[in-house]
Amino acid sequence: MQYSQKVLDHFMKPHNIGKIENPDAEATEGSPACGDQVSIYLKVNDKTQVIEDIKFQSYGCASNIATASIITDMVMGRTLDEAKKVTWKEAADALDGLPPVKMHCSVLAVDTLRKAIKDYEIKHGLAEKETFGKNTIVEELKKVIYPKVGEDIVTLKMVKYVGFENGIATVDVDIPKFDEHRDNVVEEIKEHLEQIKEIKKIKITI
Amino acid sequence: MKKNYFDNCKTTQPAPEVIEAMMPYFGDKFIFPANFVSGGSTAAEELEGFKKSVADSIGANTSEIHFTDSGTLANNIAIKGFLSENAKHGIHIIVSVIDYPDLLTNAAFFEKSGFEVTYLETDENGFINLEQLKNAVRPDTIMFMTTFVNHTVGSIQPVKKIREILDTADHKVVMHVDAGQAYGKLSIDVNELGIDLMSISAHKIHGPQGIGALYQRKGVVLGQVVHGINRMDKHQTGAVSMANIAGFAKAVELTFSDFEKNINHLRELSNYLLEKIEKTIPYTLLNGPRGEGRAPHNINISFDYIEGEAIMLMMDIAGISVATGSACASQGLKANYILMAMGRNHEQSHSSMKFTLSRYNTKEEIDHAVEKLAEIVKELRSRSPLYNKE
Repeated sequence: MQYSQKVLDHFMKPHNIGKIENPDAEATEGSPACGDQVSIYLKVNDKTQVIEDIKFQSYGCASNIATASIITDMVMGRTLDEAKKVTWKEAADALDGLPPVKMHCSVLAVDTLRKAIKDYEIKHGLAEKETFGKNTIVEELKKVIYPKVGEDIVTLKMVKYVGFENGIATVDVDIPKFDEHRDNVVEEIKEHLEQIKEIKKIKITI
Repeated sequence: MKKNYFDNCKTTQPAPEVIEAMMPYFGDKFIFPANFVSGGSTAAEELEGFKKSVADSIGANTSEIHFTDSGTLANNIAIKGFLSENAKHGIHIIVSVIDYPDLLTNAAFFEKSGFEVTYLETDENGFINLEQLKNAVRPDTIMFMTTFVNHTVGSIQPVKKIREILDTADHKVVMHVDAGQAYGKLSIDVNELGIDLMSISAHKIHGPQGIGALYQRKGVVLGQVVHGINRMDKHQTGAVSMANIAGFAKAVELTFSDFEKNINHLRELSNYLLEKIEKTIPYTLLNGPRGEGRAPHNINISFDYIEGEAIMLMMDIAGISVATGSACASQGLKANYILMAMGRNHEQSHSSMKFTLSRYNTKEEIDHAVEKLAEIVKELRSRSPLYNKE
């Protein structure tokens, strides 16, 4: 398993690295405990909605740094609506691919960007805070990547059931007993759902 | 020899003398050891000589040494062979949570098939809990297993003290020791330490890959694990590579001919490395013990605010080989289990770097590596949202 030259280039010399003082919007996702965290800062033209400047900081591995770097390139000078449409697959493709086990880095970078855009939209009255529902859980599970194939667990139909009642989120996942990534997937699900304040307890059945 | 290689825990470069010693066995000396025929008899005599070299290096008898295809196979023959043969005497085994995967996966295998396993805890420096061991020995305990030198943090388990504790039981508890990282780094006398079974590996001491050895104390009975034709060893059946064995024996000779000098060199270099890192780079944390309780070739250290795979890759791009305990660099995406068991948090585990030295490393290489490391740590910290010191 090897990184593409493009990943290495962005890792060694990341574009748009750093912090914007007094940004119009910002977001931080991931956590040091998981081994990766990204912060994204935006300057947005409030008339045209064009991203005039974007910077990032990263605590993480090479692919974490490289995906955040390429994403800043992809959305610099684009409108917020255009930027929102960038997917983690496009980001990975722009780097000439990522090893499957590293796909979650791309998800994290795109997720952070979208959260920063959301932050801008909420501050400027362009969007409201999302109302929580069962769909919020499903959307969050789409960010959990099965490291063996580099695809999310919802698309892979590994999620068999999602439920929410009295603050308890129930997720039923289909993953082989001796799969080396089993614990990792369960941990990832927990980490993602723990961020949702409406969820008080998480029940994962396998 | 390859320059700037500090990952000798994983594997070492074969010494030129080792390769030279192996070459004849790829040519005219291809014949298997056997009786009565000329080539075979010569090979059999040479094999005995090679066994003797290994036996002498640990104070054993030649008949107690079995060459195996790897250290892992030696572990499997020892553990599976002993437990399958001796289950009638008891079904309890003791291991620790920080042992080498060979021991832990075997313990889990036997646990699944009805054995009971006690997993000893570790302290914050990577030493197993001896008080817990005292209470763990039961009338049906038949085996204790340990990793002599921990492969992650270099802690040296007090094998002699462990033997004394095991001997307080009113029956024999067999001790199996994985000495992969200890052999050639510590002086080992199996009789003095009371070791019953022990695995070692050639490629950790500048020998070839694909050859290890099992020490089996006389009187300790092992069931058959690898079934097949008995060409030269009852445990390692089938064909055995004479070239690898010859290379192994040469590596043993090189390691032990100037053992003290070699150990002093390693100790001096690792002290120098640690001192230099701690002096040059702020916000670091040594993992494992300081001083005599630590193997002379291992330095494991965490760098706050940054992640280990990124450090490792930048070092690699600079031509310097090191290892990391980061989850990102592991196949299972899990933080290093030894550091976590020692009470390190995820961040400390993800940011840990392991330098393992060999006799061929020099002070100049260390100067160069630390200089690069300081630049890399500074660069990665400047990118990190967690670092607000400058």
